[in-house]
Amino acid sequence: MIDWIAYAWLIPVFPFLAFVLIGLLPKRTLGWEDGGGYAVAGAAGALVLSMLVIWDVLNGQTLTHDAPRSTWLIIGDFRIEFGIWVDQLTAVMLVVISVVGTLVVIYSGGYMHEEGVGRRRYYAEIMLFISVMYGLVIADNYLQMFIFWELVGLCSYLLIGFWYEKPSAASAAKRAFIVTRVGDIMLMAGLIILFKYVGTLDFAVLFGQGAGSIVSRGEIPQDMLTLATALIFGGAIGKSAQFPLHEWLPDAMEGPTTVSALIHAATMVKAGVYLTARTYPLLVQTPESLLFVAIIGGVTALIAATCALAANDIKRVLAYSTVSQLGYMILALGAGGYLVIHAHEAGGYAAAMFHLMNHGFFKALLFLCAGSVIHSVGTNDMRSMGGLRGKMPITSITMLIGSVAIAGIPPLSGFWSKDEVLAAVYEGGEFDPVFFALWAMGVATAFLTAFYMFRMWFMTFAGAPRSEVHAHESPKIMTVPLMILAGLALVSGFALFVGEGFMGFIERSIEDLPVTPLHESLTDIAVRIFTDPLTYVSLVLAVAGILLAYRVYYLPGFDRSVFAVGVRGKLQRALENRWYISQFYDDFAVKVWYGFALVADWFDIYVIDGIVNGFAYLGANMGATIRKAQSGNVQRYASLIILGIVVLLVFILYVLPWGGW
Amino acid sequence: MFEGVPIISIIILLPLIGAIMSFSLGRHDKYAKWVALGFSTAALVLSLLVVVAFMVEPNTGSEGYHEGNGFFDFQFYEEYSWIESLGIRYIVGLDGLSIALFVLTTLLSTISILFSWDTKLRPKEYFGLMLVLEVGVLGVFTTLDYFVFYVFWEIVLIPMYFLIGVWGGPNKDYAAIKFFIYTHIASLALLIAIMAMYFEAGANSFGMEDIWRAGQSEFARTFQIAVFAAAFFGFGVKLPMVPFHTWLPDAHVEAPTAGSVLLAGLLLKMGGYGIIRVAMPTLPEGAEALQLVMAAIAIASILYGALVCLAQRDLKKMVAFSSISHMGFVLLGYATFTQVGVAAGVFQMFAHGLVTAVLFMMCGVVQHHCGTRIIQDLGGLSKKMPAASTMMTIGFLASLGLPGLVSFAAEFMVLASMFDTWALWLFLPIISVAITAAYYLWALQRSMFGPLTTKIDTSHVHDMNWYESVPVGLLLALIALFGVFPLVVFQYIDPAVRIVLDLFGGG
Repeated sequence: MIDWIAYAWLIPVFPFLAFVLIGLLPKRTLGWEDGGGYAVAGAAGALVLSMLVIWDVLNGQTLTHDAPRSTWLIIGDFRIEFGIWVDQLTAVMLVVISVVGTLVVIYSGGYMHEEGVGRRRYYAEIMLFISVMYGLVIADNYLQMFIFWELVGLCSYLLIGFWYEKPSAASAAKRAFIVTRVGDIMLMAGLIILFKYVGTLDFAVLFGQGAGSIVSRGEIPQDMLTLATALIFGGAIGKSAQFPLHEWLPDAMEGPTTVSALIHAATMVKAGVYLTARTYPLLVQTPESLLFVAIIGGVTALIAATCALAANDIKRVLAYSTVSQLGYMILALGAGGYLVIHAHEAGGYAAAMFHLMNHGFFKALLFLCAGSVIHSVGTNDMRSMGGLRGKMPITSITMLIGSVAIAGIPPLSGFWSKDEVLAAVYEGGEFDPVFFALWAMGVATAFLTAFYMFRMWFMTFAGAPRSEVHAHESPKIMTVPLMILAGLALVSGFALFVGEGFMGFIERSIEDLPVTPLHESLTDIAVRIFTDPLTYVSLVLAVAGILLAYRVYYLPGFDRSVFAVGVRGKLQRALENRWYISQFYDDFAVKVWYGFALVADWFDIYVIDGIVNGFAYLGANMGATIRKAQSGNVQRYASLIILGIVVLLVFILYVLPWGGW
Repeated sequence: MFEGVPIISIIILLPLIGAIMSFSLGRHDKYAKWVALGFSTAALVLSLLVVVAFMVEPNTGSEGYHEGNGFFDFQFYEEYSWIESLGIRYIVGLDGLSIALFVLTTLLSTISILFSWDTKLRPKEYFGLMLVLEVGVLGVFTTLDYFVFYVFWEIVLIPMYFLIGVWGGPNKDYAAIKFFIYTHIASLALLIAIMAMYFEAGANSFGMEDIWRAGQSEFARTFQIAVFAAAFFGFGVKLPMVPFHTWLPDAHVEAPTAGSVLLAGLLLKMGGYGIIRVAMPTLPEGAEALQLVMAAIAIASILYGALVCLAQRDLKKMVAFSSISHMGFVLLGYATFTQVGVAAGVFQMFAHGLVTAVLFMMCGVVQHHCGTRIIQDLGGLSKKMPAASTMMTIGFLASLGLPGLVSFAAEFMVLASMFDTWALWLFLPIISVAITAAYYLWALQRSMFGPLTTKIDTSHVHDMNWYESVPVGLLLALIALFGVFPLVVFQYIDPAVRIVLDLFGGG
């Protein structure tokens, strides 16, 4: 039996090789879809190997403390080594990246077909993107992870700006990179703090295998650890588009829809959640940071959900829904930390990762469905869609499945994980009442989610067509991935009940923490969920959201102009302008930073260089004046020399000692 | 490998011979570029062999190995008496501090000569001066005698003055004179510092090692502070440091592309090299007294340089200001007085040399093909010049410290050592990481992306010529190589830096 887990390092190599080949091979040897064939092969190779590695993890193997490592840098007393880390948390990420990544690449064969020569660049960048994301999740220390973290950001930049000749795409790409870089600065600072106190960024040392936590070992003061974990989470705020740095993600839809599917479901934004989950052994030592995490998550979930209410661009609705769902995951991680500290339970942590996996499938599905619609009707604007149900049966049904899943209706996947998330947050209320408020926000978000998702579905697929476009169903190469993802959205929630159960599986990745294993039998879980009244609160609200959308956007006779007047009108305009947050950033960047820059530039030209030129001018004129001193009068020279000596002596004897020299 | 062969002197002499040949070509000036390329390539090949020899026979006993006994240990050491009565000798040698800069010099010189392939104006003078410049810089990085060091230091100014003044842009006279006078004043401060050390040491020797050894006991604290201040000013203007930087943007904007490459890639490094080779080890108490001044200037340079970049309209001026910001990292690393910081600072010089060369070449490409570098007048060039756009993007990404490319390791380590020494003051320089991303990506968006510009005639714009893409491609390959394997360079910097720090406060 081959020990597949030892070959985990090969996973990113497959797509990376595809990237190199697509980039370097002569054009006529690129074959199908100008490199699409190599891309599918690269993604599939990684998929197969990922599955084998995951199989090993399922069978109880991990690769954490004893992996072979190679030296990257030796500087002073520090030795920085890179290696591989595969545990249950990594396995969950591998599932999402490999499945979604492969399906997206296959789907691209249809979606990007008309792109022509641009496909080569597209496939090369997609392969690099997937490769570095794999690299990120198998890194065994923070620095290695940070390197891939930045490269993931780079690939998003390149792919969001894929249609660079469009000014909006070029601008969105830049914005995505700069905003996430603000988060990256915080992450970098957090890592630097850890590095200074502990002297390494290796997970194995930082997470204190057997030797107690790094605080209890006296390696880092408590307040510094709190600062470090809060800053590390700052990286996740940028990457996972959390409030207040969330606005780049809705703008990032300027890229091809397949790219959005990757970014939202598998790669970029999931990295932040992964980072937060990976940092758990440190986070649970710093309750203040956990509270910060939870509040950011809750606020993000609600704010993003409200922004999705008034959006008319189908991708923008989905983008805000991603931000909102990521908020759920972050919220669950924050609350889950409290559970670990106080109740020694890993429920919140497991719920977050469960939701991450489910969300990966249904969000990829939703985006690819949206891509299928856009591919067919040629616009993103839902106001000129409508009535597509008959013309695009597969797309409309699969998208309905995705919408039901995200709305949290049983037995689809979103129901199970969202329920676990909200249950964990509610339980956190036992230890800090603020979690009750966050729970209320989460429940409100569930209502809004159901409403805006069905608003989107009804506007797109139901009713009468609102434009003259001749819509048609997409080719098989696109619809087959949709059907596979729809199948996953239907069943991935049942991971809760397979084998040892998802919760028990993921729990083992933090078993070094003071966590009592749940030992819930699979029936216990089902009983717990369906006997808890809270389950029905969120379920009823979700159904209410769907019904409201049905009333407003499907049944005839509802006058939507009531939204446009009075207080409601103001509210709607605020929502349409996304609470003016984006505008604030534009003003902030342009007026404050660019203003600073202009002042600095002016200062440079007129003050600093002005002084230099002033001296030069003085020098030139002084030459003329001093020439007169060259009178040839020896007595005068002598007196000047003496004067000079006196001045120097006074300086040396009195001024210098007086200055403390 | 080079037993009994004065290999460093040979490498310094090669471009000098080339320069003399080039100047004396007479009417056959079309061969000047071949002469220059031949001699600079020969120097490059030999210097690469030196690196190989340096790596395989690291120390101990091999001929040409010179033990510093507390001072730096050198390989390929040569020593000849010159003016005995004054204690002036010609001494050259290489160690971990200088070897990377030494090869960078031969590499960038060759590449710049290749990049200037279509120079039509007075080619034999142009290529001759490029070679003279190479001689001067090589001398600075290898000489271990203050007198000869100063001679080489001054030699560098002259060809650069002419390169700007003759082959420069519209405002070249102003820029050339400003460059010359400004840096010359700084050189005077350096000369005063050297003279002061020479007399105070009383060893009747200009040898760096002799003066260092005498200085251990002879240099009082007050003396060290005063002389360090002078030397620091002399080196810092070259670096350049805010507020003594304004010669740099003017010089760059007017200089021909190859001149800018050498100016930013090599001449700035002379300042950074001088501080770590001369000022800090010889005058440690002075350095310690002025530590905060160094740090403040470094942080000011980093932030101020980045901010000013954001406001630039000229692509090349932006790149020039970015050098101020990035060289600030060198100084910041030094100012921490930690092993990590100083080593990272030295590595940053090497990294910046590679990266900034690419950036200036890309500015040259844009200027050459589009006739302007004003960002607002450009736009959408990706369609017309995809290779140029790709290379510029990679260059910008390297300069903004993207991991996997060469600058990242240096910047990260400098920031880490900054926290080690000054804790949360870290948040000042770290802001520049975001500003740097902003100005580069914004410039990229406006010049390369978006719809094709209508402000200039783009009908004749075509992609890069071979003599442009080959040098840039080569540099980008090195940038990626040393980004993934920084240890290749670091492992030689690290022990040399350890020696510097041992000198501090007696170890």
